[in-house]
Amino acid sequence: MNEHTAHSATGVGVSPGIAIGPVYLYRRATAQVPAEQIAPEAVDHELKRFEQAVQRAERDLQKIANVAQEKIGADSAVIFEAQSLMLRDVALYGTVVDAIQEKRHTAAYAVKEVMGKHRKIMEASDNAYFRERAHDLLDVQERLIRHLRREKLLSRIQEDAIVISETLTAADIVLFSRRGILGCATDFGGPTSHVSIMARALGLPAVFSMHGITDHVQPGDIAIVDGVEGRVILRPDEATLAHYQYRKTRYQQIVLEQRKLAHLPGETTDGHHVALKANLEFKEELEVLPTYGAEGIGLFRTEMEFLLRGRLHIDEYAQYQTYRKVIEAVAPHSTTFRVIDLGGDKMLPMSHREQNPFLGWRGIRVLLDKQDELLVPQLRALLRASAHGPMRILVPMVSTVDEVLRFRAVYDRVCASLDEDDLPYDPNTPLGIMIEVPSAALRAKQLAPHVDFFSIGTNDLTQYTLAVDRGNDLVATLYDSLQPAVLSLIDQTVQAAKAAGIPVSVCGEFAADPRGTILLTGIGVDELSVSPTYLPEVKQVIRAMSLDEAQAIARAALDAGRPSEVKALLGQWLDKHALDLKHLLELRPGLAAAEAAS
Amino acid sequence: MTEREVTVVNRAGLHTRPASMIVRTASKFKSEFYIEKDGYEINGKSIIGVMTLAAEPGATLRLLFDGPDETEAATAVSQLFEEGFGEVK
Repeated sequence: MNEHTAHSATGVGVSPGIAIGPVYLYRRATAQVPAEQIAPEAVDHELKRFEQAVQRAERDLQKIANVAQEKIGADSAVIFEAQSLMLRDVALYGTVVDAIQEKRHTAAYAVKEVMGKHRKIMEASDNAYFRERAHDLLDVQERLIRHLRREKLLSRIQEDAIVISETLTAADIVLFSRRGILGCATDFGGPTSHVSIMARALGLPAVFSMHGITDHVQPGDIAIVDGVEGRVILRPDEATLAHYQYRKTRYQQIVLEQRKLAHLPGETTDGHHVALKANLEFKEELEVLPTYGAEGIGLFRTEMEFLLRGRLHIDEYAQYQTYRKVIEAVAPHSTTFRVIDLGGDKMLPMSHREQNPFLGWRGIRVLLDKQDELLVPQLRALLRASAHGPMRILVPMVSTVDEVLRFRAVYDRVCASLDEDDLPYDPNTPLGIMIEVPSAALRAKQLAPHVDFFSIGTNDLTQYTLAVDRGNDLVATLYDSLQPAVLSLIDQTVQAAKAAGIPVSVCGEFAADPRGTILLTGIGVDELSVSPTYLPEVKQVIRAMSLDEAQAIARAALDAGRPSEVKALLGQWLDKHALDLKHLLELRPGLAAAEAAS
Repeated sequence: MTEREVTVVNRAGLHTRPASMIVRTASKFKSEFYIEKDGYEINGKSIIGVMTLAAEPGATLRLLFDGPDETEAATAVSQLFEEGFGEVK
């Protein structure tokens, strides 16, 4: 690799925005702690050094707990308080002191040995939650070793730095944000980790899961972090730098412009209303809704809270409180809660390993098998929350009418148990299903009489219809929601819903693609639900077209033989409105690239 | 020596918060305090120890107290378990 060449790689954009600045390579301290012995006369000095390191770590953690509490809430501080307690723990402090005195180990080596032993025990636990807690021990271990080496980590960070690291902990990002960093990128980590939530809450552009970005960093590098597209570029050449400076400015302008749209309705030029709602995963994201002008939540993914905690048991009352908070924050608009959707790529660590998870035990199949542990407590919690405002319940991965009937039976039983317990709930809470399996789309007419609404999940529907795993690089380019086969199943579902008089929505990335927005509106979808950050764009597209136009394009697209014909049709329309809409593709080169490739 | 048998009743088991509560409470007393689970014994004044127990809901633990204030310590710690660590059941 030439050290002057630019390096560009993609990962998962976990927090939107674009940042450009000098790299600060944050190396974690675990790397090399040699098994050294100290001289007998150095023991007292080593003990003193250890005590100082503990005191410094205590101060750190106190500070982090305060920042976390102030910026994110009291719950998030518990973990840092527990880490602080570990420092003086006999199992750590006492054992390290013994090892320094008796074995004459260096403090750093003693800390590594002692913590390593405890970590092994926790990592061996059957319970994912406890296995995960091993990270807390590692965090404490590294903090101590850093202080023992007197690495003044934070003082070396420049204010406008881009932090690049193998991993980041929640504590790291909280402190870095105080130092005024601009953004961050890591080798590991995904969008549901605590640290991602914190990055979003702190408004720091971040790209995770870069797999090997730290290997490419060199001293003095400039980095571009594009949290919108999930891309990081190291050592950009002048043209790239200029392009991203422009993108950054445009991004900021567009965000400002689009936010002005927030209070306007999602209406076509001829007055047809399309409800624009947000997809959400955590109650922490609620505060962004008014900024983006969401008319409620079209998809609240309840499994994320479970995945975050790494366990299947969240008690009914705690769930009820969470759902209630969401409903009350969103009212008078409605919230659609999707019941726990596990399986596929959303696995709890204790889940069964399957040959083919996307065709395996997921969605409603898990729920019906785990009624007592999962489904009943969640339905009870959801229905209890229904007493506090408008909401709907959505069932994932339905493929047959029988499944719906079985689900209904559980639902009725839960209602009866709430009556018995004298707990208030809304007996008219709508129950709907996801249409994301081709068999469900093909039988939408037969499913409709048993449910109160449909929600089309275009991501899975596309993947199952085309038999393409979009996570598989070899075939990912074949994944295309504009394929007439996919559009035809969507159309069939919408027509069945219309005939039965039930509402139909779409939640999936396709709804946020300007071309998807046009087609879905033309096909007759009542409601689009997308990531909140895409809402203003979607609204802009809808406000630029008439329903007649959209319907004409949709009809032509459904008659088309190949996706290239569909794209040409949409391209013509987008060109006509180029002045308004060009930046949508400009800012999301992923879309533009897909366009160019076809 | 005072002995108590307790069951973990809070739904989440002895995770971070309950573990901190046990350690903080036990540390107020002079008596030594050990927790035994499945023949494995740990120091109950050690948060790392308590967390390595990985005690899940329904687990039965033996609490062992030894010292001048063992009865009071036993009462205070057992109470935490009985109340499910203040978590709503």
